[in-house]
Amino acid sequence: MSITGLLQFIARWFRLDVFVALIVASMLVGIVIWVGAPLVTLPDGSEGTVPSLDAYLFVSGALFSIGVFGFLARRNAIAMLMSIEIMLNAVNLAIVAFGGYVPALTVHASVIALMVMAVAAAEATVGLAIVIAIFRNRRTPLVDEYAAMSE
Amino acid sequence: MTLPQAIPFLNWSWDYFLFLSLVVVLLGSGIMTVLGRNIIHSGLWMMVCFAALAGLYVLLGAPLVAAAQVLIYIGAISVLVLFAIMLTQTKFGPARLVFHRQASSAAVAAAVIALILLIVVVDTDWPGQGVSVLHTATDALARLLFDRYVLPFEVVSVLLLAAVIGGIYLAKREPDEPSGP
Repeated sequence: MSITGLLQFIARWFRLDVFVALIVASMLVGIVIWVGAPLVTLPDGSEGTVPSLDAYLFVSGALFSIGVFGFLARRNAIAMLMSIEIMLNAVNLAIVAFGGYVPALTVHASVIALMVMAVAAAEATVGLAIVIAIFRNRRTPLVDEYAAMSE
Repeated sequence: MTLPQAIPFLNWSWDYFLFLSLVVVLLGSGIMTVLGRNIIHSGLWMMVCFAALAGLYVLLGAPLVAAAQVLIYIGAISVLVLFAIMLTQTKFGPARLVFHRQASSAAVAAAVIALILLIVVVDTDWPGQGVSVLHTATDALARLLFDRYVLPFEVVSVLLLAAVIGGIYLAKREPDEPSGP
């Protein structure tokens, strides 16, 4: 790749949303590092930090808040459904994290996570079918134009 | 020679390094999904987000959940979402205004939720937790799923069947309706 190609590539991604994503993601990762990781003795005798349950749970909470923002702020109905999928995945991550660290929940957590995935798939099917059915009547996927009930 | 099990100077184990890199990818692509101006790009970023989450499941010692994540989310739901995007695209291209007017208050609400969850997570002493990750044996999972959880399993299968039939019914074109936009 030539220098101009590289500069063009950088200029293409030199956008506000990419900047916001980088800044917010690095802030959240800073919090994840601040939440902490226990220092353990690794199998070869050296000491190192390993991820903790708290860090996983905060990652799950951060992903859930991202989904909440998308659901409240986006105008497109399909983008709102994508935000719901992100929230369901965040909950799934919390469930599997509990299964990974609490001995009494180890196998049960995987079973519950698989159930959540199946229900999420059913929800996505019906939700997208509803969006397509509304689109056929109103010719737009933007939810703020679905104002028939207020007219 | 073998690699040292902790990264020099940082004292991170390789698990922690992988965890942090997957978290960067996960949260960054999640935010790009939510903020992206072009909705097709949003759908593709969502696939990246799900792939990073599958990596985290592997780190948590749940390989079957990771495989199901790849099959169901990346393979099925993302394709479904992308097809729905293609079916609902208008001729005017992506909308000029991606967000509602109240997007700033939505951002404040999301930040407050994240803060509350952070306080809860840090303040709570989760009971009975170990330090190292416990791996889930797939045969134990299968035995539990088809023994103790067999009734929820069957209910979920009926739910999926009902959802598929309902989806077909909702998205079906009426016979007397004019075709296509």
